Amino acid sequence: MVRFLILALALAGSLLLNSGYLTNLLVVIGLHTLPAIGLALLMGYTGQISLGHAAFYGLGAYGAALLGRRLGLDPWLGILLAAIIVAVIARWIGALVFRLKGHHLAMATLAFGIIVHIGLVELRDLTGGPNGLSGIAPLSVFGRKLVSDFAILPVVWGACLAIMAVAQNLVSSPLGLSMRAIAENERVAASIGNDVGAIKRHIMMLSGFTAALGGGLYAHYIGYLSPGPFDVGFSIRLLLMVAVGGFANIWGVLFGVAFITLIGEVLKPLGSYDVIAYGALLITVVIFFPRGLLEGLGGLFMNLRMPPMRGAK
Amino acid sequence: MTRATPQLEVESVGVRFGGLSAVSDVSFTVRRGELLALIGPNGAGKSTLLNAMAGALAPTVGHIRFNGEPIENLPPHRVNAIGIGRTFQSAEPFQHMSVRENVMAGGVAAAKVGLLPSLIGWGRARSVMGELGRKADDLLAQVGLTLRADEPASVLTAGQRRLLAIARALATGAELLLLDEPGAGLSEVEKQTLVAIIRTLSAAGKTVLFVEHDMAFVAQLSQRIIVLDHGILIADGRPDVVRSDPKVIEAYLGRRRATVATPLPSPVSAAAPRQALLRVRNVRVEYGGQRALDNVSLDVGDGEIVTLIGANGAGKSTLLKALARTESSIADEMSFLGASIGAVGPDQVVMRGLSLVPEGRALFASLSVIDNLLAGRYAKRRTAGIVSLLSAPKDEVLSTQERLQAVYELFPILLERRDQLAGTLSGGQGQMLAIARALMAAPRLLMLDEPSLGLAPQVVEEIMACLGRLRSQGLTILLVEQNATAALGIADRGYVLANGRVVKSGSAHELRSDPAITSAYLGAANDIGVAPNESATHARRVAAIPTDLPA
Repeated sequence: MVRFLILALALAGSLLLNSGYLTNLLVVIGLHTLPAIGLALLMGYTGQISLGHAAFYGLGAYGAALLGRRLGLDPWLGILLAAIIVAVIARWIGALVFRLKGHHLAMATLAFGIIVHIGLVELRDLTGGPNGLSGIAPLSVFGRKLVSDFAILPVVWGACLAIMAVAQNLVSSPLGLSMRAIAENERVAASIGNDVGAIKRHIMMLSGFTAALGGGLYAHYIGYLSPGPFDVGFSIRLLLMVAVGGFANIWGVLFGVAFITLIGEVLKPLGSYDVIAYGALLITVVIFFPRGLLEGLGGLFMNLRMPPMRGAK
Repeated sequence: MTRATPQLEVESVGVRFGGLSAVSDVSFTVRRGELLALIGPNGAGKSTLLNAMAGALAPTVGHIRFNGEPIENLPPHRVNAIGIGRTFQSAEPFQHMSVRENVMAGGVAAAKVGLLPSLIGWGRARSVMGELGRKADDLLAQVGLTLRADEPASVLTAGQRRLLAIARALATGAELLLLDEPGAGLSEVEKQTLVAIIRTLSAAGKTVLFVEHDMAFVAQLSQRIIVLDHGILIADGRPDVVRSDPKVIEAYLGRRRATVATPLPSPVSAAAPRQALLRVRNVRVEYGGQRALDNVSLDVGDGEIVTLIGANGAGKSTLLKALARTESSIADEMSFLGASIGAVGPDQVVMRGLSLVPEGRALFASLSVIDNLLAGRYAKRRTAGIVSLLSAPKDEVLSTQERLQAVYELFPILLERRDQLAGTLSGGQGQMLAIARALMAAPRLLMLDEPSLGLAPQVVEEIMACLGRLRSQGLTILLVEQNATAALGIADRGYVLANGRVVKSGSAHELRSDPAITSAYLGAANDIGVAPNESATHARRVAAIPTDLPA
């Protein structure tokens, strides 16, 4: 609880600095945090890999935009409705792909991500194809349009804090224990009465909802959508954010998102070669810091500061 | 429900895996509050039956009822929900949770908290969490793990893991506990703790059915024993009656037929000193804190057939794996052909002429017979340098052809089936392929791990006869067998292992007539108060096996 307050105060403080660049970065971090938290619940806590989470983010974005354009829905309602539709889709995708495990699950979710991305490119009548959708209405509160980064930041981070709180509640609830049990050993989890399939589908649903919420906010914030940001590369970056954060760690994931977003800024000169750097980083983190970069580097630092005590128990 | 009504009814249950019948026509009932053991030799179908009762697999035929309700087609979580808890062979605690959380996880499903309440930080989810914690502390006190409640489950000893698994199963509210080898790999002290705790649970009204290999443990704990052999129920009754049942003794020690038909030409005279091929002194192996091999010493001379016998879990396979260097071990000495193999890699061991035919055959199921055989040649071919893998030198091609000829001569069926996928072979053919694959590396010493496992008696005879022929061609053999009669029938010498130690060694002739073997498999007779004259009958029965073979 204290952490949430501190974070909220820090964000409010950052607005006072009146730095456009910083505020923009914070908004982007917030938008990425939503799908990353969803992925952490699925992958970190429940142990089910997904290489297709960009698809849920993309579906949420396009869904919110299209609901607004075609049906004339209020942006707020559009975002919520799109997220609910994506949650239902995620649940059914879960029913399909959770017949698989390990590498096969990774392949299936990867394929799902690619299919959705191709759909966004090729369904020109609906999505505008590679040209994308433009002119998406910005969010508005009491008739005041939230166009600037300064105006959108409280909305994005409000959603983030809410989702983080919900996720934190979930993982410390009895269901959280079942999720961790499934991540470790499905056979044993089932033997103590857990309906493993149903729990996985529930978490997938929640995860899809969270990602789509991020996507919907993104669509109305940026005002223009093209398929590019929702490709497999984004799925991999989400995976990297969760890995850097230590997989099963809500606050760690927040750090992971911030870290990867900042690294992304540094890597901008590399252009499309940045994928190489992300790949190298992912390998490094997974091999050397399996519990996340923050904890891993912290441990390393402690080791340097304090020589290991021999024989101490 | 009255005490006399059966709590669990197993009726004509059969489980088939493809063409293999793992359990057939098994029927028995369990009354509320009973404490019974399910025993049987390796591959008898005990775990399969346990899995069927726990819902982990659906029986092919038959019915299983719990409190009168059919459960044979329920998934595991539903079976658990109606009151059956189970543990697994390796206990499998959730390593990333604390000990308390492990037990709490057991109670989650029964508490039935939905997704939405779980997302809200207060209310039902929180109160249930508190209840689960209190219940977990109670159960941990019952199994004596209170002091370790806050430690991660990964630091527990093997014995504590078993206790934790029992507490976790109890947390689900189970009335019937199915325990899969609760005592395996535990020290004597840990076993006593376990026995006491299971007794307390039983006294508190829980029904307990456990699968176990350690007969002393079974004798101490069970009120009733059910014996399976080759998937068939062969005995069901009081421990003392079951243990003196000739069918049970035969199931454990092997059938006479297997030895009668086995020819045994011993090319080397028993008296002549043999050149030592393999020399092992005080080898030790530990699995996560539990000692699987405890200072075992062993010698194998050139041209001998030496057999390692003993009950399941005695450490026989571990010893072979340690020698093949696929299991890390510590030894004062481990040398083959005079050179130490204590620190070399598993491929090096094969290159030097020591090949293992692993338990369960471990064939490459999706490769053809010929590809399996060529895979067996890999390590040998690698000795000629890495380039030889790309293009084999001429003499390597020739010697590979020679080896192929030799194994086809030994097992003509493999030539017939050379292009068939190994996964489609029958059990006996598969075993022949596994032996042939090991022979491709032209070993000096061939180690076999339970070649008779799961095979029909005639096939076992055939395999044993092949081993006899191989020995007459000068091959040395180290044989691990559960079927002691068959193994001692062809061996020159034998070692009897129990609980990771050599408890007896001697010529096959001596061992055949030694009552220690019966007790290594079925526990010492005095454990259960069987009259001495009765245990002498066991010995006579074992001794009655024809011994007119040259030893």
